Amino acid sequence: MSVLEIDSVSIHFGGIKALDNVSLRAGEWEIVGIIGPNGAGKTTLFNCITGFYQPTKGKVRYRGKNISKMPVHARTAMGIGRTFQNVGLVKGTTVLQNLVTAQHLQVAYDPWAGILGGPSTFAEERRVDDRARQILELLDLEEVRDARVADLPYGVLKRVEIAAVLATDPDLLLLDEPGSGLGPEEAHKLGDTLLSLRKEFGLTIVMIDHHVPLVTRVSDYMYCLNFGEVLAEGKPDDVRRHPEVVRAYMGEDPDQPDDTMVVQPEEEYV
Amino acid sequence: MTTTDETRSIPIVDDLTSEIPPVIDEEFTDESDEVEAFRPSKAGWFARGLVWAVLAWLVFAYPVNFFSPFNVGVSDADTASLAVIFAIVGLSLNVLLGYAGQISLGHQAFVGIGAFTSAYIVTDLKLSFWLAIAIAATFGAVQAAALGAISLRVSGLYFALVTLAYGTFAEEFLFGITALTGGEGGKPAPRPVAFADEYRYYFLCLGFLALVLWLDWRLTRTKAGRGLMALRENPRVASSYGINVKAYIMLAFVVSGLFAGIAGSLLAHHDEVIVGSRFNFQLALIFVLMTVVGGLRDRVGVVIGSVFFALLGSGKLVTMLNLGGFFEGVLGLPTEFVALVVGPILLLLTITKYPGGIGQQVAPIRVWLSGRRFDRHAGAVQEVEVNDVRA
Repeated sequence: MSVLEIDSVSIHFGGIKALDNVSLRAGEWEIVGIIGPNGAGKTTLFNCITGFYQPTKGKVRYRGKNISKMPVHARTAMGIGRTFQNVGLVKGTTVLQNLVTAQHLQVAYDPWAGILGGPSTFAEERRVDDRARQILELLDLEEVRDARVADLPYGVLKRVEIAAVLATDPDLLLLDEPGSGLGPEEAHKLGDTLLSLRKEFGLTIVMIDHHVPLVTRVSDYMYCLNFGEVLAEGKPDDVRRHPEVVRAYMGEDPDQPDDTMVVQPEEEYV
Repeated sequence: MTTTDETRSIPIVDDLTSEIPPVIDEEFTDESDEVEAFRPSKAGWFARGLVWAVLAWLVFAYPVNFFSPFNVGVSDADTASLAVIFAIVGLSLNVLLGYAGQISLGHQAFVGIGAFTSAYIVTDLKLSFWLAIAIAATFGAVQAAALGAISLRVSGLYFALVTLAYGTFAEEFLFGITALTGGEGGKPAPRPVAFADEYRYYFLCLGFLALVLWLDWRLTRTKAGRGLMALRENPRVASSYGINVKAYIMLAFVVSGLFAGIAGSLLAHHDEVIVGSRFNFQLALIFVLMTVVGGLRDRVGVVIGSVFFALLGSGKLVTMLNLGGFFEGVLGLPTEFVALVVGPILLLLTITKYPGGIGQQVAPIRVWLSGRRFDRHAGAVQEVEVNDVRA
């Protein structure tokens, strides 16, 4: 059974078809990459999966269950975690506090018990705090533990965001441009991190990124979206070389594929 | 090839993190790592102990004329009780305005409903004060929940208008129903026998303030408080963290209503006869002013701000500082309006220069009192927080 199954989803905003009959699936432990030019509907697709948008047509299934009508927080409770394109963190507080907040659903007591100050809540708070520290350690983020999110540079925040989403204890991780703003070396390191996280946490990952070499390296399967439609899908290397994909990205003749698109990744990373 | 890649990639990450200045937020860091080596000297401890003793004296002894070098009378104890009740109202409004980012311009209705509920139960139903305050808190919570349900549908400026209208409606209509509130003559609200005396009543109010402070402290340190913090700043991120945004906004309204109900009940029995016209819009305005000037999300600041406005509003502060001649004589400003003139000036100062309000001003002292080094900049990390109120 696939973890995520998107069944011919369409979403219209007024006259604009942001997504048109898009189907996608991600199997257990798979890393699925989504590429596509700006405005192709990649983030809209994530918003349909997490529940920020209701698809006009079609279904979103998670482990066989139709979740198309569920609210966002209920989907998080089922194990869908996501990051945001422009950093989804609570900016006014510290990194540690963000990770503690993200464990909201793992906190064992009722919110009212917490307000009354029930004795068990103190121990539970310590547990949650320890867990947050562990996750930060795992991602090499101890140095920034007590820093305020608003004071940190973008590159670090992208990693903090992954730490925060891991704190929600996801099964399915949706990463929206985790590699944006990273140089080639950092992107390579991010790839390693993702592969090891999948192993460690048993994750299924769907990631959007413009960094084609990164997506190609870590993905087991790749989709390319353009104008709200699936342009191509298949093994990463095939999709990347697919003439339609090259044309969508480069606007060039498919018979003369651009060097930068095809050659770069293998020379540098494999 | 891969090994060189790995070794090459390490310094880059190091670079990234080493550029970050180690910002330490006093509010959220835990004791364990922060205590470092600093321990106050003996003299340091003595100085801190002295200040603590003076504070304790100011709160527990001065208002009840115990060990007081000044002549403090019954009416001063009465004002002190009012100040404590205002502090509870301030904390109630702080839950909405500070934690949930929801504006309430009708908070006098929250308090008034608690007050009349309590008065009705004690006077008409002849039940005990303790039961009355519990039911007043419940009623406060229920009416707040109703308003909360509206806030989920109407937001921003329009919700502010709804609360404004609600407050006025409560004052003009609800509190004018003679059968329930005694109409213009008001409703008697006798105190419990054991606390009939002004001095004893003051300690009763202090006790309830302590309870509210405890609940407020636990709220901010647990799940619900963190949920509110996240949803106030970014509801999308909050919901992707698994926080049920609507449920937690409702929770904030209920908690705020509970606190306001307690304050209302205490206010009714403080006045002993409660009149509907007491809960006018001016009062709501003072409530908002004292909370914001006190410093949103800063417990100590809100309490100080509320006490300040209670003393200012009752004219006590003007008399104490002998400024009556200045305000009434020189400026031609009656004492009862001083709060409404001074308040907005302080509000402007808060918004433009000291976003943390009074809480920010006293943070260095608070940090020092808790046994850490005196740091003039403690608490200054707070940034302008006024725009995050979705009004």
